[in-house]
Amino acid sequence: MKPNELKYGDVDRLIIDNVEEGEYLVNRAVFTDEQVFELEMKYIFERNWVFVGLDSELANPNDYFTTFVGRQPVIVMRDANGELAAFINSCPHKGARVGHHRKGNTKQFVCSYHGWTFNTAGECIYIKDQDSGGYAEPFNQLDHGLYKIKFGTYRGFMFASLTDDVPTLEEHLGEAMPLLDLIWDQGPDGVEEIPGRSTYTYDANWKMQLENCIDGYHLTSCHPSFMNVVSRRKAGESDNQQVKSIDFNMLGQVEGGTACMPRGHAVIYSPNAAEHERGLFLHKDELVERCGEAKTKWMLATRNLTIYPNVQFAENASLQMRIIRPISVDKTEMTIVCIGAKGESDAARLIRIRQYEDFFNTSGLATPDDTIAYEDCQFGYQGKELAWSQGYSRGISNVKSSADELTDEIGFDPETSSYGKMTDWDESVFYGGYRAWKKFIKDGLAVDGKD
Amino acid sequence: MTNKAEMLAEASELLFLEAFYLDAQQWDEWLELFTEDCEYWMPAWKDEHEVTEDPQRELSLIYYSGRFGLEDRVWRIRSGQSIASKPLPRTSHAVNNIMVSDLTEDSMTVRSTWQSNCFFHKTNKSEIFYGDYEHKLRKTADGWKICRKYVVLKNDYIPTMLDVYNV
Repeated sequence: MKPNELKYGDVDRLIIDNVEEGEYLVNRAVFTDEQVFELEMKYIFERNWVFVGLDSELANPNDYFTTFVGRQPVIVMRDANGELAAFINSCPHKGARVGHHRKGNTKQFVCSYHGWTFNTAGECIYIKDQDSGGYAEPFNQLDHGLYKIKFGTYRGFMFASLTDDVPTLEEHLGEAMPLLDLIWDQGPDGVEEIPGRSTYTYDANWKMQLENCIDGYHLTSCHPSFMNVVSRRKAGESDNQQVKSIDFNMLGQVEGGTACMPRGHAVIYSPNAAEHERGLFLHKDELVERCGEAKTKWMLATRNLTIYPNVQFAENASLQMRIIRPISVDKTEMTIVCIGAKGESDAARLIRIRQYEDFFNTSGLATPDDTIAYEDCQFGYQGKELAWSQGYSRGISNVKSSADELTDEIGFDPETSSYGKMTDWDESVFYGGYRAWKKFIKDGLAVDGKD
Repeated sequence: MTNKAEMLAEASELLFLEAFYLDAQQWDEWLELFTEDCEYWMPAWKDEHEVTEDPQRELSLIYYSGRFGLEDRVWRIRSGQSIASKPLPRTSHAVNNIMVSDLTEDSMTVRSTWQSNCFFHKTNKSEIFYGDYEHKLRKTADGWKICRKYVVLKNDYIPTMLDVYNV
């Protein structure tokens, strides 16, 4: 099949999912076709739960922040009574944005165009000169408040959906919940965003980032400069001792695993031989007492988690939260955040911050090498004669349709899993995401009568 | 007695030299401009108007408490092992509005604005980064050295990547 034969909605042919025969191929049109992108936005981002942030961003009544769900501008806020909700960030009158800042605290939003005013529960509390407006009944019947969208939280993780026609948030997250617990429970009162998030863009498809976070295979070939900087520090050839560096050379020595969940969530994990280098390790005693040995072990382990479709938690040394916002088929915006346990010691936080800046920052020593690699792939996808990517075959023989001993330890029952030495490098971890991708789009098309 | 005009001229020369070395990719000469115990700090932004203020409790885009951090970066740039660092972008730095303050015989603070034009080869794109610098200079046996460089990046919606040569 050539990409120029792609028909609108013909998603089945873009992914050859034949694991029994040992075959898994992804057509590169998935990363380059604008019609595919349109379907993804419509059915995966705009008819699905999408992550919007941690509730630490809305700690106080009347706190708000602005963001996007899919392509649509959204404002998330905590009202005067403490209730959280999300709305389209657009005045119902003429459409102007009502939240102008990335975040803030205000008792009311006055639209700066014609003065309509809203409280933090989204209700319209003032229409300028309404009495003399000569309005008729049809207008009076309208809800003049901000357009409310579906909103939910799990622990302190906040999600929104542009449509009501979605499963409950718990059903959506499913077996990913115990993995989110491993993050949230790192502090007795949960985790929070550490001030200083940053945003960057890259010129490639959003799924490049989605895959990379759970792609253990790239580590040693994409990041040798980082690994060797770390080796130089360990050997005393670099005087940089301000950061407790995790030596990734040891990762290939341990057993690890992957797991896929319904609705696209996936994780790679391995025990962390350098757990003592982590800030979290300083609080290990408290963690064991509160959460038990097994859970503490997995909190300190290396875990990269994707909550489909738009948030990832990468935890090797520090803990990074990445929010993915597709801009177009070949442009993606990334908001990256360091998160840490609320109330953790200064010493633990300092370790966390230095490790995060070193590895995860877009001005750091590792992330730029990933980002440039995504752009190099998008460049390569211009070679449309080479229609199919082979990067989904590694570990295809290892996939099990069940949990394993280690996933059992944290009470986690994935749809498929794999485990063994260097198995956390398996590319079979991408299958869950693409199965969900196919299902979201096909289900959406069916509902719209386009199947 | 300090002579402000003379110190302004000396400070300007050092800042221009730093920009020159970055643009010429003369990394050893660039590192030599810094004291070993220098602080290099580019804070992140908390919102539209406030940068992070405490590098021990808040995130920075780059924070080093010594020259070692810059040395790590130079090692990585030269290693040939970083796909983000080859080919290196061509850069042109302009440093303006230089003002000196806190003048003593052997120290001063230098505030300036900067703009860095960067040409990225793979995309044939030019990106502009800009902001403020605050350098603290110390007079040593080898002349004036940078003992603190504080960089505010004003357009922090970053296209793809950022390294010390972009700011």
